[in-house]
Amino acid sequence: MSANDLAIEATGLHKRFGRTIALAGLDLRVEAGTVAGFLGPNGSGKSTTIRILLGLLKSDGGTARLLGGDPWRDAVELHRRIAYVPGEVSLWPNLTGGQAIGILSRLRGHVDTARRDSLLERFELDPTKKARSYSKGNRQKVALVAGLASDAELLILDEPTSGLDPLMEQVFTECIREVKKEGRSVLLSSHIFAEVEKLCDTVTIIREGRTVEAGRLDELRHLHRTTVSIVLDRDASVLASVAGINDLVVDGPKAAFTVGEAELGGVLAALSAYAPHTLVSSPPSLEDLFLRHYGGQAAASAFSDAAAASYAGAPAPAAPAAGKHRARTR
Amino acid sequence: MNTATLGSRAGSPSLPSSGTMTGLSICIRFILRRNWIRLLVWAAVLAVMIPLVYDSQQQAFPTQAARDAYAQVANTPAVAAMTGLPYAAGSLGGILVIKIWMTLAVALAFASIFLVTRNGRADEEEGRTELLRSAALGRHAYSVANYAVAGALSVVVGLLVALLCLSVKLPTSGSLIMGASIAGTGLAFVAIGALCGQLSSTSRGANSLGVVVLAVFYFIRAGADLQTKGTDVSPLSWFSPIGWAQNMRAFGQNTWWPLLPLLLLAVVGCAAALRIETSRDLGMGLLPQRRGPATATAFLARPVGLVLRLQRGSLLGWLVGAVVAGLFFGGVGKAMSDLLDPSNPFARALVGNSGGSMLQSVLGIFALFNGLLAGAFAVQCLAGARAEEAGGRLESQLAGALSRSRWLFAQVVVAAAGSAVMLLLGGWLMGVSSNGAATGGTMAQASFAYWPAVLLMLGVLLFLQGFLPRLSVSLGWAVYGISVMLAMFGSLFSLSEAAIKATPFGAVPRMPAEDFALLPIVVLCLIAALLGGLGMWRFSTRDIVPE
Repeated sequence: MSANDLAIEATGLHKRFGRTIALAGLDLRVEAGTVAGFLGPNGSGKSTTIRILLGLLKSDGGTARLLGGDPWRDAVELHRRIAYVPGEVSLWPNLTGGQAIGILSRLRGHVDTARRDSLLERFELDPTKKARSYSKGNRQKVALVAGLASDAELLILDEPTSGLDPLMEQVFTECIREVKKEGRSVLLSSHIFAEVEKLCDTVTIIREGRTVEAGRLDELRHLHRTTVSIVLDRDASVLASVAGINDLVVDGPKAAFTVGEAELGGVLAALSAYAPHTLVSSPPSLEDLFLRHYGGQAAASAFSDAAAASYAGAPAPAAPAAGKHRARTR
Repeated sequence: MNTATLGSRAGSPSLPSSGTMTGLSICIRFILRRNWIRLLVWAAVLAVMIPLVYDSQQQAFPTQAARDAYAQVANTPAVAAMTGLPYAAGSLGGILVIKIWMTLAVALAFASIFLVTRNGRADEEEGRTELLRSAALGRHAYSVANYAVAGALSVVVGLLVALLCLSVKLPTSGSLIMGASIAGTGLAFVAIGALCGQLSSTSRGANSLGVVVLAVFYFIRAGADLQTKGTDVSPLSWFSPIGWAQNMRAFGQNTWWPLLPLLLLAVVGCAAALRIETSRDLGMGLLPQRRGPATATAFLARPVGLVLRLQRGSLLGWLVGAVVAGLFFGGVGKAMSDLLDPSNPFARALVGNSGGSMLQSVLGIFALFNGLLAGAFAVQCLAGARAEEAGGRLESQLAGALSRSRWLFAQVVVAAAGSAVMLLLGGWLMGVSSNGAATGGTMAQASFAYWPAVLLMLGVLLFLQGFLPRLSVSLGWAVYGISVMLAMFGSLFSLSEAAIKATPFGAVPRMPAEDFALLPIVVLCLIAALLGGLGMWRFSTRDIVPE
């Protein structure tokens, strides 16, 4: 895949605000036509990255490309081809939601009124109410309708469902699936693992302004250990001697542990010798993957190297380039 | 602290510990804590007017003969309409009433409405009241505390006014009536603010409704004061609480009893507001929420259209201000110039040493007033640009195909064009209403000469918006305020003529007294363009910084 097929390509982004370092070598890639999840705890730099991609902030280092253009220099031209939904939507209190949708979509240049009306209906939003009287969820719907009504090539969504109820989240999920079917690209920053697992092809996890994990969702799972719960016919502490078993917790005949992908075959063979009654194995969830990166700095950097190396389909030079920037400035 | 009728009812310690007033004293302390700076500023600014205005009037009319001469000509329609009937213009107390009573009463009415809304409907709208009400707090405790604190401000201002009048040796009964009539007006408008806060479900709606009621009462009394004979009390004035307070006639007949209907209105109005509060749901008002259009027009979706829509209310308000000021200044210009003694240094300093006749100097300073008014509008209008950025609404717009320079330019266009219209309209009306002292064209020119100074203010704001966005609004107002002080009172501060000529509004030739001069206009425009250009450039290259 050539670099031109990337909707977003950010390499080694740096940004500081006074003494605060917001980004310290962040990498982000979104392939054209895919939905990319963008995960990270509060304050990890998701919104800063998005603002740089929108040309609202100027990065202090690294490179960013958006639909093949420079997000700072070509902002106006690029913005005709993208739609943005902020996480915290502020509207003009004395204008109606419908007026705000009109202003925001016309600024983008193209308004599909039929699509807008159907979205208003699906999101159950009354466009004649003044924005002052809207709840957080309704303000979010205004931005979503304005963004989704466009025929933008790339949708940049910053925690777009944070104020929505589960029914509206469902509507949102359907909308994004339709966008994907039409071959458009989506960057979805989110806190909701289920949403990301449902929708995203790739995922990028960031922490403290740098990328710690990135790749196709299905491949990322392989990097990590399967969790196994087992009940033996004897005391389970015998498992301690089996090679490849990690994180073993024993409770009489019951045990739980994790196994790396490579060791799974050997471990299963060894287990059969202990005549297990029950065996439940579960693949690592995105949540496990995410929470793993809170274990400490060492764990995080180990994963980030693995992640960079494993990036599906990505041209190789990105990883070392990112590595150079990883010297901490804090 | 004396909190008058409201306070004595609200603050009584004998209230039962459970019921609709539970938690009243906590609420009062909480509201005082949240508003003490605001309360202090209102009280201080209003009260300090008394010695300031008294001092300037004493200098303008130093002798009884000067005051008697003033009394002969004081009763013009413009004075009657704007500030009320000059029933005692031959005394210093009476002149003080003409100059400042209406301003103080109306300002206190505004303060009462805004304070009651701020701690009432605004809190309810934002959901803070819900949080408070979920605690062990009586249904009316917070509202009563709100009314009591706002009422206390009126009483304190009234007391300060009375004390300051006494301190400059004005007659005792007149001083007390002066304070009581102002406090009474404030208290009446606490009740009106309370009712508006119950009727409307938004704080903006409550404030607008309150201001409309205030304007209606103001115009009723203006009509009454215009249609009466001489300085007799007009029956129509009894239809407005402001009229009741005026009819107490401080330093005139000194009548006490119109205070009673004012206090009655305060008590009955607040009681009615509490009654409505009992019968309605939290968060709701009695008036329905207004709906609006479901789509944006093509014009609204253009940057200039959006700015015009957002500034519509303020633009109309400022235009009305320019019209009223133009008519008023034109109406009083001739009378004022006849009164001012050219040998009086204070009068001379006020109108400037421009050499022309006193009438031309007075018209020149009125043109300056017009310029300052337009400057204030321009600063306020362009401050809206920072508000869009700080509120996070700019980001959504720039995420569309809109360049930063085009967005900022739209803000400047509205501020510049709006101020130009204000200058031309206000100036023209000033000439037209001047009874032949100057033509509309002459005064429109004289006013419009201040447009470059207004543009310089815009240049300063653009520069600040580019380089110091977070401070731009406060610094912008500071620069404007200093420019106003220097232009108007520079010579009182013993500033040299040349120094005053080096300030934005002082640089403009004071037509019609002075001849038009091109150089200062060109210099002002160049500095404005330089500052504005730098600001625009910086704004296009800096980070967008929401609050």
